[in-house]
Amino acid sequence: MKAIFALTMLAALGCATPAQSAPSNTELKIGISQEFENFNPLIKTMSATSYMFSLVGRTLVSLDANGKWYPQLAKSIPSLANGSAKIIDVDGKKKIVATWEIIDAAKWGDGNPVICEDFAFALKVARAPTVSVGEKETYTLVEKIEADPKNPKKCTFTYEKARWDFYQLGQFTPLPKHIEEAVFNKYGKEKEGYEKNSNYSRNPSLKGLYNGPYVISEVKLGDHVTFTPNTYFYGPPTKIQKIIFKLIPNTGTLEANLRSGTIDMISPLGLSFDEAVAFDKKVKAEKLPYEVTFTPSVTYEHIDLNLDNPILKDVRVRKALVYGLNRQELVKALFDGKQEVAVHNISPKDSWFTKDPKEIVLYPYSKREAGKLLDEAGWKMGTDGYRTKKGKRLSLVFMTTAGNKVRELVQVYMQNQYKQLGIEIITKNEPARVFFGETTRKRKFGAMAMFAWVSNPENSPKSVLHTASIPTEKNGWSGQNFMDWSNKKADLLMDNLELEFNPVKRTQLVHQILKLYTDEVPALPLYYRSDTTVIPKNLKNYKVTGHQFSETNEVEKWDLNGTILN
Amino acid sequence: MEMTENLTATPISDANRKKLEQALPMWRIVLTQFLEHKMALVGAIIIALFMIVAFSAPLIRVLTGIDPEAQNVFNRYQAPFTSAIAGQDIRETAIEKFRTDHPQLSESLEKDLIAKSLVSTTTPADALFELTTKEVPEAFKILDQVGTSGAKELQETFKNFSTYHLFGTDELGRDVFIRLIYGTRISMSVGILVALVSALVGLLVGSLAGFYGGAIDTVLMRVTDALLSLPLLPVMIVIAAVDMQKLPFLKSLVSPQNESILKMILILCLFSWMTVARLVRGSILTLREREFILAAKTLGATDFTIIIKHMFPNVVAPMLVSITLGVGESILFEAALSFLGLGIQPPTPSWGNMLFNAQELIYQAPFLAILPGIMILLTVISFNYLGDGLQDAMDPKAIRR
Amino acid sequence: MTTYILRRLIQTCIVIVILSYVCFYLMTLMPGDPVDLMVSSNPKITAEDVVRLRKLYGLDQPSYVRYGHWVSDLAKGELGYSRTYRVPVAVLLGPRLTNTFILSMTALVFSLLIAIPVGIVSALRPGSAIDYFFNFFAFAGISIPSFWLGIVCIIIFAVWIPLFPAGGTQTIGGPELGFWADIADRSKYLVLPVLSLSLQQIGRFSRFTRSSMLEALRNDFIRTAKAKGLSRQVIIWKHAFRNALIPLITILALSISSIFSGAIITETVFAYQGVGKLTYDSIIGNDFNVAMVSFIISVAMVLLMNLLADLLYGVADPRINFT
Repeated sequence: MKAIFALTMLAALGCATPAQSAPSNTELKIGISQEFENFNPLIKTMSATSYMFSLVGRTLVSLDANGKWYPQLAKSIPSLANGSAKIIDVDGKKKIVATWEIIDAAKWGDGNPVICEDFAFALKVARAPTVSVGEKETYTLVEKIEADPKNPKKCTFTYEKARWDFYQLGQFTPLPKHIEEAVFNKYGKEKEGYEKNSNYSRNPSLKGLYNGPYVISEVKLGDHVTFTPNTYFYGPPTKIQKIIFKLIPNTGTLEANLRSGTIDMISPLGLSFDEAVAFDKKVKAEKLPYEVTFTPSVTYEHIDLNLDNPILKDVRVRKALVYGLNRQELVKALFDGKQEVAVHNISPKDSWFTKDPKEIVLYPYSKREAGKLLDEAGWKMGTDGYRTKKGKRLSLVFMTTAGNKVRELVQVYMQNQYKQLGIEIITKNEPARVFFGETTRKRKFGAMAMFAWVSNPENSPKSVLHTASIPTEKNGWSGQNFMDWSNKKADLLMDNLELEFNPVKRTQLVHQILKLYTDEVPALPLYYRSDTTVIPKNLKNYKVTGHQFSETNEVEKWDLNGTILN
Repeated sequence: MEMTENLTATPISDANRKKLEQALPMWRIVLTQFLEHKMALVGAIIIALFMIVAFSAPLIRVLTGIDPEAQNVFNRYQAPFTSAIAGQDIRETAIEKFRTDHPQLSESLEKDLIAKSLVSTTTPADALFELTTKEVPEAFKILDQVGTSGAKELQETFKNFSTYHLFGTDELGRDVFIRLIYGTRISMSVGILVALVSALVGLLVGSLAGFYGGAIDTVLMRVTDALLSLPLLPVMIVIAAVDMQKLPFLKSLVSPQNESILKMILILCLFSWMTVARLVRGSILTLREREFILAAKTLGATDFTIIIKHMFPNVVAPMLVSITLGVGESILFEAALSFLGLGIQPPTPSWGNMLFNAQELIYQAPFLAILPGIMILLTVISFNYLGDGLQDAMDPKAIRR
Repeated sequence: MTTYILRRLIQTCIVIVILSYVCFYLMTLMPGDPVDLMVSSNPKITAEDVVRLRKLYGLDQPSYVRYGHWVSDLAKGELGYSRTYRVPVAVLLGPRLTNTFILSMTALVFSLLIAIPVGIVSALRPGSAIDYFFNFFAFAGISIPSFWLGIVCIIIFAVWIPLFPAGGTQTIGGPELGFWADIADRSKYLVLPVLSLSLQQIGRFSRFTRSSMLEALRNDFIRTAKAKGLSRQVIIWKHAFRNALIPLITILALSISSIFSGAIITETVFAYQGVGKLTYDSIIGNDFNVAMVSFIISVAMVLLMNLLADLLYGVADPRINFT
């Protein structure tokens, strides 16, 4: 009896669920499955936060979907050609001085103008030893920032090095000095003092903290963020009156939430690839009012090989590993052919890309070739189906981030393929924090570590391939060359690349680096990821960029009413 | 009760009287009482069945010819009751194996295939491989046409390329049925092992505390109470997140292959011995003052003898119940931790991690999530009923329903 | 009585301190400290910087010293800073605690409301068909993996028949609608989690109610009461149930810990914003301060509930006195 009563109660409550309708410009609810943090632009490290941050925070420049840099807060991008930047010589060291002018209409959400001081203040905070900055590298490129005494919006940036990409300051965000300086002066000396007391964490809905098309009206960490239009935004007025990002950590229930109308669309940080492929089929079969988009991105999914490992020191074994992996079948079977097989760390979206066999070394799938190379290296097939050398089995430890379904799938798939080749793969996975926090940096991953590099087109490979980027005890385990790959020739090429202002010559240099990279195989290229989203059919002007400067940089153009803007 | 009925009946023969006067052995009483508990009996049968399945997993693997780790990535998420053709790589490996196993036979086969131009290639080494690219029935027909003696043997190899999947396939095209069977092996052995180990630990702690009393008792029982009152899951998550290889005393025991299983057993053992310990302590406390123990003591028996010989037999019954219930609980905990991604690591199948893998594509392939869940439910409920039955059967005070 | 409570309180505190140290030590074994994270974001950091930072964060000291610092910070009301969310821990915890409290209390009340009548009905008719049915129901409840039940609930009640939301705590903007609308909204999100969290407790409680009721009904005073011609209602409620209540209270207290454990899984499956999920996320994400604080809160809550149960025990059974 009691059970029946409970059921009727359930039914009564259930009837209150609102019916689902197509989203309009009044409100758009976007689902994400990744956690986000406090919105302090200096402190943030999570991709979900960066993704949403472009709604509220803009900076000097950004990169569009075609891989072209365009000014955001700046009036124009300085260049050597038009004289707004020049190379100077200080004590025999070449540096760059560039003039950036902030557009007049640029204001913080409380009406205060965005000025050079805000950039200089950000630099000061980023340099403070007590503050843990998410992307510190950008802030180390600029030495100092000075404002024109007559025009507070005209800034002179002095760069530490004469690099060709000096203007690519897409991650250099200003901080509202008029709000944050007091906090920094009071707590900046304590450890984590600024982070803890910053208005971004204490009063995140303060309008003056933001200068983008939207301001944050509510943050519930671990649940949702609500964005409302910024009345002081310098650009065209936003069309959508309210945007809500809702966190649904269990990707399995994203679809249910979409269908029940809890969310209207799923951002690229939502579905796993497998789920997107499956959902795409269902959208088409059931004629649902959604579109599932697949956009190739520059994200390079690969396996770093640990060159400290005695087995992998032999380049023949490394080559055998690439030859012996049927990547074509992998992407076809697991991803429905919707992600492309990778040849090296530069993606086809990048103007530097090449897959010309004259320029680089290619490894089409060939089990026989792989077997031959392993035989040559002295690994002979035993009766138990595994290869051995001097009584030791050819066994490699393969690690990746635990809980990432796609990676775990690929991992088990590879384990099976290598078994056919006589290679034993032992898998061991760790939570991402541990994996990236310690294992990869200290080269504790045994033999293979699978993860991805997220970057943007024309990004110097120096931080992952240069000898100076090998993490060691000596440099405090910094740098991202987790493979311990050291090639003098490649080092020199990368050093030159940084300082080369001629784009044609840059491409040539990159191709030479790629030649060395593909020939020595310090990493196994797997595939270039595609970004997947689910959008309502009536959402217009939404263009996934496929790199780290996400489509939210153009959020003001998004429109749910249908007219297409050009 | 039976006796009184019989006594009121007509005079009984000597043989019958002897039979009646003879005391029934304890186990007979327990067994009769146990058999009356229908659900417990069903539970015992199910458990026995699962145990047999778990033990004979390799046999089932040989009989069905399905490897729990054999993938078939072009046949992922197949519905139950479908069959699939093995992938190209598996077929090639099989041919390679065939060629090394039967070098002469393959050579003559290759020669005949080319001679009768049943294949398009002219290089003998490729002839057999070309067959793998064809549909199985077609390859069968070609092999029939060759007429080489021994073509039948190759046909056997080809027959294995088509596999039938009773419960469908998972995210990598692996057979769910055989994986469930291997999962039974892992989940059951983790459950049983944990229950046994924790019973031993509990026995030790409980008897020490109960027999010696005093300070030992206080300390041990405080620890037991503290552990009993812990919210288990958060504690287990903390421990599961620790890298075992970092702990010096475990370093030699742990290797990457077995780390997750060992860790699982260790964690579960750490937190499941307390009920047994309390139980044993309780019984021993009451026994300690009994005459027969005092007698043994006066006769000069050592503490060890007293505990082992005189006290243990008296606590066996309640312990058996507690072990049985413990198995079910351990299986549930294993599943929960694996579900959180902290338990048994892939590719080793356990019910918990199969569920964990299944929850993502729950709409596409709900059976992947439902099957392991049902297995867990069935096993745990069986163990619980078994425990209940044992308790009723062995408890002298228990009233029959 | 007072001395007893005091002694128990002190014991509880000691247990909490020991456990928190063990947890602290285990957490230090987990790789990746704040400095590691700073290093990975800054390729230009030098070895000296790293040493200096480690000193600033006190990471160069042994774990017991760091534990001491942490405890003294805690005593000052300084809960620390969440490395994952990059906000002070206190900001994070408040609403989560309320949510978990609502969830577990609703589940507890709901399961008692169902379990006690079920247990009594079975005890009054032992061996009947209804007893067998309830017994099976109880066993199934104990044996069902709650996360699986959660998933199945989502498939059935959120996808196939979209009656309830598949996950979450409340509709965005819910609190603006007014008090009652907010409550209605929240309860809609509570239904499935409560259901999947309660089933196990229902099974457990109903079995305990049944067996302690049976035990109580076997007592001589029940026979006496019957002989006196007291009404069935009076016998059941005033005499039998009151006696059956004592073991039930113990099991109730112990079940707090299992409800809390269950809440971790339930909250994860339903993306419910509670401490359970936070505890899990922070341990996995190596968010030191959050993990420690939420761990201690959960342990303390459970231990205090146990203490409370022991005291209530005395209220229910006047024969017990505390010494």
